Parts: sequence; C-alpha cells; structure tokens
Amino acid sequence: MRYALFLGCKIPSYVPHYETATRRVLGELGVELVDLEFPCCGYPMRHLYFRSYLLSAARGLALAEARDLDITTPCKCCFGSLKRAQRFLADKPELARELNAELAAEGLKYQGKARVKHILQVMHGDVGLPDLKKRVVRPYERLKAAVLYGCHAVRPSEVTGFDDPGRPHLIDDLVEVTGATPVPWAGRLSCCGAPVRERNEDLALATIRRRLAEAREAKADILVIACAYSQMQAEWAYSLAGPEPQRELIEGPVLYPQLLGLSMGLSARDLALERNTPNGEYLLSFMRRD
Amino acid sequence: MLFSVALYGALAVLVLGIAYKLKFWLTISIGHGSREYSPGRRLAACLSGLGRSLASRRLGPMLAALVLDGLLQRRSLGHSPWAWAAHMLIFWGMMGLIFLHALGPVLIPSFTATLNPWLFLRNLFGVLLLAGAIMAMWRRLRLPGLKRTTHWADRAALGILAFLVLSGFALEGAKIISAHSFDQMVEEYGSLSEEGDRAALGQVWRERYGVVFPAGQVPAGQELMERGLELHQDSCVDCHDRPVWAFASWPLARAMTPLAAWLDAVEATAWLWRLHFLAAFAALALLPFTKFLHIFTGPLLLMIRAAGPREEMSPAARALVRAMELDVCTHCGACSVHCSVAEAVKHVPNLNILPSEKLLALGRLARGKASSGQVLETVRQGAYLCTSCLRCTSLCPVGIDLQDLWAAMKDDLAAVGFGPTTLAVAQKAGEAAGPSRSALPARVRNEGFQNGLGLSVQAETFRGCYQCATCSNACPVVFSYADPRRELDLLPHQIMHTLGLGLAEEAMGARMTWYCLTCYRCQQACPQGVRVAEVLYELRGLAAARQGQGESC
Repeated sequence: MRYALFLGCKIPSYVPHYETATRRVLGELGVELVDLEFPCCGYPMRHLYFRSYLLSAARGLALAEARDLDITTPCKCCFGSLKRAQRFLADKPELARELNAELAAEGLKYQGKARVKHILQVMHGDVGLPDLKKRVVRPYERLKAAVLYGCHAVRPSEVTGFDDPGRPHLIDDLVEVTGATPVPWAGRLSCCGAPVRERNEDLALATIRRRLAEAREAKADILVIACAYSQMQAEWAYSLAGPEPQRELIEGPVLYPQLLGLSMGLSARDLALERNTPNGEYLLSFMRRD
Repeated sequence: MLFSVALYGALAVLVLGIAYKLKFWLTISIGHGSREYSPGRRLAACLSGLGRSLASRRLGPMLAALVLDGLLQRRSLGHSPWAWAAHMLIFWGMMGLIFLHALGPVLIPSFTATLNPWLFLRNLFGVLLLAGAIMAMWRRLRLPGLKRTTHWADRAALGILAFLVLSGFALEGAKIISAHSFDQMVEEYGSLSEEGDRAALGQVWRERYGVVFPAGQVPAGQELMERGLELHQDSCVDCHDRPVWAFASWPLARAMTPLAAWLDAVEATAWLWRLHFLAAFAALALLPFTKFLHIFTGPLLLMIRAAGPREEMSPAARALVRAMELDVCTHCGACSVHCSVAEAVKHVPNLNILPSEKLLALGRLARGKASSGQVLETVRQGAYLCTSCLRCTSLCPVGIDLQDLWAAMKDDLAAVGFGPTTLAVAQKAGEAAGPSRSALPARVRNEGFQNGLGLSVQAETFRGCYQCATCSNACPVVFSYADPRRELDLLPHQIMHTLGLGLAEEAMGARMTWYCLTCYRCQQACPQGVRVAEVLYELRGLAAARQGQGESC
C-alpha cells in the first residue's frame, strides 16, 4: 500500500489537524505515503476557468504517474475533481492531447493510469474492515455518529465510483468498526454549503447550519466528516455561533481519521483533536472505561 | 576628490532613501482597518512588541532565525538547492568583498590589499560572487517557471553585481601590467638613487610581477637583476605579494598584455578605478530603492517572524510589518514557481495570478497607482484564483507572510468595489439577462449555448430534458428559498429548457446558475441522464469568457 498523498490546498492552512490525523493513522495502518509537490486539483478554478482546471488536475495526475504511484486524498472535493478530470479527458481525447502538449514542456505526460482514491477507500478497501477491527483496541461506547457522506465523493456516482449513491454504506462500515453507531439522519447525503461560500455566504451558512441541526435532531453525538471543505464549513459555523450549540447544533464535527485513531489507542494529541473547533477532545468522554 | 564626493553623496542618498522607506512603512495602509494606525502608534507598537518578545525570552528563536534563515538561508533550500547555492555564493562573496574593501582597512592595522591573504581573498570572494550571479542569471533565463516572472530589474540587479566584480578584476589586471603604475609607485615609495635603478627594479617586476614595459626600456642582465632584487627587498616586498595569487586578475592581465602600451596611453587604470568605485557607490545609493534593500529588511523580517505568530501581533505593528513586507520581497520567484494554481496562467493571461507578481500589484494598489477599473479587474482575478494553500508563505526565503497579505488585499479590493470574481461575473450576467427576461417570447433564437465553450461533452446533454422537474425537486438550493422562482430567477429544469430554446444569456444570468452548490443531486436524480450540474458549470465558465474574464482560448 503505497500512495502519493494529495493533500489539496485547504488542509495545510485551514485544517492542519486533518493532515496530522491522516498521516498518523495511515502510517499506523501500514499505508506508505509519498509527498509530491502537487498543484491545485483544479476544483476552485472550475467555475470560470475550465481548461485551467483540467490542466492543473492533469498535471497533478501526471506527476503521480511519472512516479508510478496511485493517489490518495483526504479531501472529497479534490477526490471528485480529479475523478471528473479523468472522465472529461477520457471523453475528449483531443483535449487530453492539447493539455499533454503543455505538460510536455516539463517532461510530464497525462495517461490516465493513476488511480485516485479517497483515504476512506484505502482504509475500507486496501486495509479492509477485518484488519481495522483488529487494530481497534479502545472501542467507543454509546457514541452515536451522524455521517456526512460528502457530495463530491458520492455523486456523480458513475464518475466517482465511491459508493452506492442511493444507499451508501462505506463510511457507516468504517464508523461501526470503531464501536460507534451510525444513526439515520436527514443530512447524510446532503451538501455542506462550501462550494457557494464565495458567491452566496448566507446560503453557505444556512446549508451547513441545517446539517448541524439535523444531526442534533437525530440525537447524534458527533458529526463524522472526511472532507477538508465540510470540516471548514462546520468549524466556520461554530465560530459564528453563540451559546446556542448546546441546544440546537450537534456537539461538534470530528474527522474520520481522528475517530478511528483514538479507538486504535492513539492519543488525542497525536490526532490534533484540540485543534478542532469546537475542541474535539470531548470525544474522549465516549471511550470505554476499563 | 571625486572619490570622496561620490562616497558621501552615495551615503547621503542611502540615508535619505531609508528615511523615505521608513515613512512609507509608517504611513501606507494594507488591509482593513490599517488606515487607523498613525505612524506614531505603529512605531510604538513595534517597539513594545520588540520589548515583549525580548522579555518573553524569544531572543533565542530570533537569533536562531538570523543565523539559520539569514546567514545560512535555510529557507531557500525548500525552493531549490541550486537557488540556495547561487544565493549563498552571491551573499558570502559580497560580504567578503565588503569586508575587504570597507572594513578590513579600518579594523586590521596590518591590512594591505596587495599582500596575502587579502590579495588572494579579494579574488576568491570576487569569483564566488561572479559565479553566483552567473548561476542566478542562468536560472532566470532558462527555467520557464522563473523566466516568466523575471523582469528587467532582476536582470539589472545581477548585472550590477557582475559589473562590480568584472570592473574590479579589469582594474587589478590593468594595474598588474601597467608600466605607468610601476613608475608612480617607484616615485612614491622607491628609494632609487642611482642611474639605472629603475631599469634594475623594472626587470624584477617584469620577470616576477608581470609588468609590461615598452620595448627597450628595461634591458635584461644578470648584474642588473641582482641590483633590482636588492631594491625590491628594500622598497617593494613588504607590500607586494606576487600577483599570481590574484588568481582571477592574473590570467586577465596576461590576456591584456598586447594592449599594455595602449592601456597606459589612455590612462586605463585611472578610468577603470573611477568606473569601479562609481559603480559601487551607485549600487550603495540605489540600495533603498531596489531589491538590494532586503540585505537589511530580510533578516529583520525573519526575526520578527521568529518572535511569534502574526495573529499575536498588535494591529498597529501588523500594519507596519505588512507595509515593510512589500520592500522585503527580493522577487526571487520561488513563490511563483511553486504556486498551486500557476497552471492557470497558461490559459488565463494574467500574471497577477502568480504570487510574486501579485505582490507587486499589491504594492501599486497600496501606493494608489492601480486605480483604473481594468487594472483592478486583473488584480482581483489574481487575488481570487488563489486557493490559500499556504505554499508561498511557507516557502518565502525572506519570510513574508503572503497569506496575510492576500487576505488584506481582498479587503482592500472589496473596499473599492472589487469583490470576488465569480460574484462580479454573476452580477454582470444577471444584468445582461434581466431586460430580456420580461420580453422572453420575442427573443427566441437558435444560438447561444450551442456556440458556447463546448469544453465538456457532457454539457450538451441538456437536450434530453423533458421538464419533469426532478432536478429542481432534488435541489437543496431551491429548497433553501421560500420563493425560489423569484429569488433564483430560474429553477434547474427551467434552465435546461431555456437552453433548449437557445437562450444562453438567460441561463447564464439566472441566480440559480451562480448559487449552485455543485452537490450533483440534480444530475444523479435525472431520469434522462442530463448532466445538470456540469451544464451549470459550463454556463458559469461561458459567462466569464463572454465578459473577457475567463480563459483566452
């Protein structure tokens, strides 16, 4: 299990705790991560600059291909963006040829042979649930988790191939391994609001607040996230919220590698839980006391 | 006389220049709210910040930064080992030369430039500096990522350094072979009493020191040589090692030998000397106005950075540091080479996308020199293409907190009415669609989207739409508004229908197109396989392209 780690643009500056936890947990699971200097996946450029999007994505993919590596990313938007770029370029080979002419200047060539996986797919598929289960030494007790699947991973399903778009179970499986219980809730497959934040902040905030409230209504204790943007959205909503969270919003967002890592016996500090907003250390209160 | 006038003139310009820069740092405003801080408050905040840093024992990290990031330039290694090597050669070469030219004669009583180790060291440091400058120039001319951000000022700076060294070598070489210089020295220092002494000493200097005398002036002879050596011992040897130690100037001197008589006739040594010191003093005077200023500001900023995170800095001190950062930039281009969105420059012809150029634009903006709408539009495009990935900030060799500057820049742009690019494009598209919306039936025509970008083959799938409205029912944006028809202009299925009618402008101008969350629920749900979300993406790109805000293709 060897992958080039595609961190994406947002994680280093806005969600560094995601990077900490991802590296730590994947390392523990025996997944070797190679760091390449990747460009942007192109996702933020896609609205107005389609070719720039494809070129940037193709360059990232070509960098991994040049090293004969597959890519894994913790960000659902990077994941979706790279997967869609592969599809666009497969659909339109003449565009791939044009972009390759530009990449040739630095000796790169996009061939479409690098596989792109979200880190959860690596955990679920490569490591496997039985192995994960063996690693869980401190399972949670009475922890109810609302899982946010993430639009750009789930849809369009024929492009992303992440899971069954109607009844996905991949993240639920991974949550169950830790001893936590996934709860049914309204926002499971819904949007976090991030993509529209620049163009319509009200809508972006209303969307994430609805998710946080829905999770609360479902009596979940935590919201499980595995995307840089969704985590940013949730933390943004909490930073703007007053004292109401106790009543209206779910207690807090937790990144999946943090949830898994803690149950594997890693410390809260190893997983940078204290850097979550709100502080993610409340997760500790759900550990089984021996 | 000329030397003193030039030196003091250059020093005066240097001092005035630095004072001018200080005024700039204390008064210019970057970012929301920085205008409120007067020069006095900024200065006071900086001093108290310095006091706090020292009191809280941050001196250690600050000194470590000075040594590791300043003297050893550790941060450049993250950019490229070659860039690091080039800059180390330039830096240490220059430091050595400054010491040997300006400080050595003052600090070391026995200092004699023509004796070893100084004779050798001057050449050594000169060669180091020259090698660094050539390496840097080569990188700037050959590496595509660096070439596109290289300006004449960057080449000129390297040119000045190379010129300083080369003029020094030329001067030394010309002096070595000059019979005229020999005569001047004899007159000044030689205790020659007898007729023929000059010829005797000249023979020694011709054989061992490479002086070129006009034919017949200095005859050869064993007896003469012995007398010459005697004189040499008495008058010369205490101050002169053999010029072969000047390992760069010596071969140059050998190469100039055929020109020796002509060089003496035109008084070349005197001219080269003037050229050399005037160039050095010009560089000194230019220092505050060029990137050479980073010699002072770079280490200062690195220490400020090591003293604590930017968020802990008081707003007034922050205002000062931000303004100073504009002058710390060496335009080395590391940020632009590694920029996450650098690829966009190939299709969006706007260099302001690249951090090093964006910083220059910010400088113009702060000085009020970028006020035309067109300029602001390109600056805005650069500012909003940035994904805030932090790479430029973590790489910058002089420690500029670019992330902080970019955020401040967006504030400043918004203050003059230049918010996010997508918003502006959306607004303009809406205005274009607005008037025709009331006159829809009259404007039915069969063009528009069919003549669009057509980049993604999926965009053409709108033709399959049969208006079942499944997409609109699945849409969380539609769900979010109490009166979506009024607040979104068109619902997703209506947008597909509008395209079917060939009314791309209406579709591009609909708020729905711009409020799309790209969650792909519509697309996933569509029974006809219409790629609804991709179509909306295409519409946004099309609107940008039609407004000249998109890609150039």
